[in-house]
Amino acid sequence: MKSYFSLVIATLAINTDLFAAEAGMPQLNPKYWASQAFWLILIFTILYISIAKFYLPKIKNNLDDRENKIKDDVDDANKFKDLSESKFKEYEKILADAKKEVIKIQIESRTILDKNIQSKKEAMEKEIENEISKAQKEIDELKRSSLNDIQSISENITSSIIENISGDKLNESSIKATVEDVSKKNIDKYL
Amino acid sequence: MQQFSVHKIGPEIKIAGVDLSFTNASLFMVISASIILLFLFLGTREKKIIPDKVQLIAEMFYTFVAKMISDTAGSKAKPYFPFIFSLFMFVLFCNMVGMLPYSFTVTSHIIVTLIMALFIFVAVTIIGFTKHGFKYLSIFVPSGVPAVLLPLITVIEIISYLSRPVSLSVRLFANMMAGHTMLKVFGGFVISLGLLGGWLPLSFSVALTGLEILVAFLQAYVFAILTCIYLNDALNLHH
Repeated sequence: MKSYFSLVIATLAINTDLFAAEAGMPQLNPKYWASQAFWLILIFTILYISIAKFYLPKIKNNLDDRENKIKDDVDDANKFKDLSESKFKEYEKILADAKKEVIKIQIESRTILDKNIQSKKEAMEKEIENEISKAQKEIDELKRSSLNDIQSISENITSSIIENISGDKLNESSIKATVEDVSKKNIDKYL
Repeated sequence: MQQFSVHKIGPEIKIAGVDLSFTNASLFMVISASIILLFLFLGTREKKIIPDKVQLIAEMFYTFVAKMISDTAGSKAKPYFPFIFSLFMFVLFCNMVGMLPYSFTVTSHIIVTLIMALFIFVAVTIIGFTKHGFKYLSIFVPSGVPAVLLPLITVIEIISYLSRPVSLSVRLFANMMAGHTMLKVFGGFVISLGLLGGWLPLSFSVALTGLEILVAFLQAYVFAILTCIYLNDALNLHH
């Protein structure tokens, strides 16, 4: 260990010797000051001119272009958004109008239908009434004619009954009068 | 300190007796600037509405610097945006390139940071005087200070104004140099302590590398934001 440390110290000594050999900062040696100044000014001027005249405008253009493009795109997007919103509103309005129209048509058609049904019903009722009254009349006529028939049949039956019971023929006119009398009395029962 | 030494690459260039030779420092300036330009080229090559990764990063740098300027210096500083963007990118990439092993850190040299800081200082002063004339001198006389203290405060303000380039340049230079020196020292410990004891400094070295990357970004940001603040003083005269 001791030998190692002595080795380290020895190398450090050599190193410091080396440092001493290079002693003095090269920065403070004015030998190449003029050269450094000259080349610095030359190179920096070239760098400055090419950056200022060529590269920075290019970068600036590109940045501006991008900004404009983004702005334009956002504007376009907003425009389209507005357009779609207005279209949607239009669509909703059309839909609402159509609904209103449907309701209107429904009401109209219902009233027309109701009216039709009513008038048809009335016509039908009138017809039925006519038919009924016609039938009534026929029935009445039939009744009346049947009454006459009944009377003559009654007369015939009466005369034949009397003839069979008494063996005499009665006066037809008297039978007729009697039957007529009885039937008149009882006609209300049957009519 | 080997890593900070500057040496000539290629032939010696002498103009009017001044040595302007191409050095490793110049080489790494060229490398950093080339990386920036390549990165920006790739980032702006295709104009996509939905950016790819490189384009996204380039645009993030743009918005980052733009926001920094508008937050600290307001809308009046807009004409100076390209300069501050270039400055931020240059310092950032020089710092980051310096983090690579065997590379050279351009910003660890006081002369480089001093020239940038002096340029900013002179430019800001000129802007201040052209925008406000002699009224710009009112920057040294803060309002709401008792008359007794005013001479003292004014002197302090003048000194602080004049020390701006020094503080700006030394801050960047010292941070970069200290970080790299520390990494070098810990690296040296790893070697000298060997397989047995080298693990501790090695783990320090790893942690410090992470810290240095943070510092590299942070110092570029600080450099740029202080430039913005100085610019704000010159553009919007209210103290």
